[in-house]
Amino acid sequence: MKRFADLQVLAGPAVLVVVAALLGTTVSVSTQGYFTDALVKVAIVVALYVFVGNSGVLSFGHISFVAVGAWTAGVLSVPASEKPAIMPNLAHFLRDRTTGNLSSLALAALVGGVCALIVALPLMRLSGLAAGIATFAVLEITHNLLRYEEKIGPGLNTFSSVPETTGLRQAALGALFVVVVAFAYSRSRFGRLLRATREDDAAARAVGASVYRQRLIAFTISGALCGLAGGLYVHLLPLNTETVYLDLTFITLAMLVVGGATSLWGAVVGALAVSAIDSGLAVAENGTSFLGWHIDLPAGTRVIVVGALMATVLILRPSGLTGGREVKLWPR
Amino acid sequence: MQLERRPGESLRASAISRSFDGVQALHGVDLEVRRGEVVGLIGPNGAGKSTLVNVLSGFDHPDSGTVTLGDQEITRWTPHRRGRHGLARTFQHTRGFRSLSVRENVEVSALGVGAGPRVAAARATDLLQRLGLSRYADAPASALAHGDERRLGVARALAMEPRFVLLDEPAAGLPEAEVPAFAELVRSVRDDHGAGVLLIDHNMALIMEISDRIHVLDRGRTLAQGAPAEIRGNLDVAAAYLGETAVAEE
Repeated sequence: MKRFADLQVLAGPAVLVVVAALLGTTVSVSTQGYFTDALVKVAIVVALYVFVGNSGVLSFGHISFVAVGAWTAGVLSVPASEKPAIMPNLAHFLRDRTTGNLSSLALAALVGGVCALIVALPLMRLSGLAAGIATFAVLEITHNLLRYEEKIGPGLNTFSSVPETTGLRQAALGALFVVVVAFAYSRSRFGRLLRATREDDAAARAVGASVYRQRLIAFTISGALCGLAGGLYVHLLPLNTETVYLDLTFITLAMLVVGGATSLWGAVVGALAVSAIDSGLAVAENGTSFLGWHIDLPAGTRVIVVGALMATVLILRPSGLTGGREVKLWPR
Repeated sequence: MQLERRPGESLRASAISRSFDGVQALHGVDLEVRRGEVVGLIGPNGAGKSTLVNVLSGFDHPDSGTVTLGDQEITRWTPHRRGRHGLARTFQHTRGFRSLSVRENVEVSALGVGAGPRVAAARATDLLQRLGLSRYADAPASALAHGDERRLGVARALAMEPRFVLLDEPAAGLPEAEVPAFAELVRSVRDDHGAGVLLIDHNMALIMEISDRIHVLDRGRTLAQGAPAEIRGNLDVAAAYLGETAVAEE
């Protein structure tokens, strides 16, 4: 019976991802891009949920691991023959190697996880505001490293010639994989102990839980999933360092907060709901017709609206649209 | 993880001193709890009882003195390390995992000390039944009434299969009618689990009834220790804590 209840927690988010992917197959190719982008965002937000949702510690630094994953998959999957032209200063060991789609994604996850572990070793001793600010520092360091270090990527230039393998199917499968890993983690001993530390760290320590160790494990898994999502992202769009920086940090945190940070269901609902609004506004910023009306919103409207939505949800429903609870598809 | 059973071992505080901003909360206190006994820790407000429990459980460190668990000195150990070595505690002000279910609260405690998921689930089922909390198993812990929250705190501690349990005012807020059942529960911790229990409570009837020994603190110093009958007749204790009227009524 308990296993059935547990599976319901997985079924809701998984069904939502599949429905979004199926809807994506019914629209034009140009609109399909929005669905694919939304599914990659699901992967990023669920990866973020693994740490933020289960620990209750806010992180502004997770997009670093998305960026590192994107750089890993991007650099490794650009054809070797094109690397000298696109990335002339690339380190030798990267210049001569090219990997396939799946192995580039696996390596993106591995590098994301290793970077997260290295960052977490000192940072997970911090709590509250200090932890949040320190993760922001990580974002800044990573951004500047990737921006100016041309031995590991295109530097200021945009990644080009990365095979565009992230279509609707790869994005959906990637998002589903991240959802399943997040679910398995949250049901594991580690996930349950971390949630206990989120509720009351003194009571958790009293029952044998090491707050530091549990946060370290979650941060590393979360970083690996962010790395994977970064790999999916670079195979979807030509990225540069600005694509994986402040705007993405803001929008993914908004998605998590709007959906409900403490549940897997909330992470998926938030990612898809805010993606829908964000994409609709992006179209409107470029000028579009809707029911006979011509809509042409000023540039920047989408960020303002998403920001206002995030603030409104925090005021009216601090635990998010889902109340931070998991969904039960078949209530008893 | 099956904890090693070693009858006769003890949890010992030796010459513990602790001050806060110049106020001496504990002053050279010695206290010993042996496996299979209940030691009552009493004293007026501000006597240093909770400070001593915090020092024993690792939530505070003494300025001087040592804490030993069995034959290991654990003075500088973290609380979670002490927990994994069989030292459990409850809190004076109810603390728990409020958005987790009642069952999850107990399971997490077992998982924290290394039990597998199945063992944790079995312990939770057993403890919730014994503590009369089965009907709330799937409810969030935040929905429990105060007395039930207290019982859940004890269930969390017992799920760790501890060698020693520090119960910080576990009966506070319990309806009077439920105190005898609670006393029976504490006895079973001692008799069935073989654990040593340090019990702090303001319910003197409870303390006198179930303690094998009583340790009295007053202004950070040990005022008296001995069997309940000795403490009941101790005039210093009466003066400092129980009140002259209590002695007169005897």
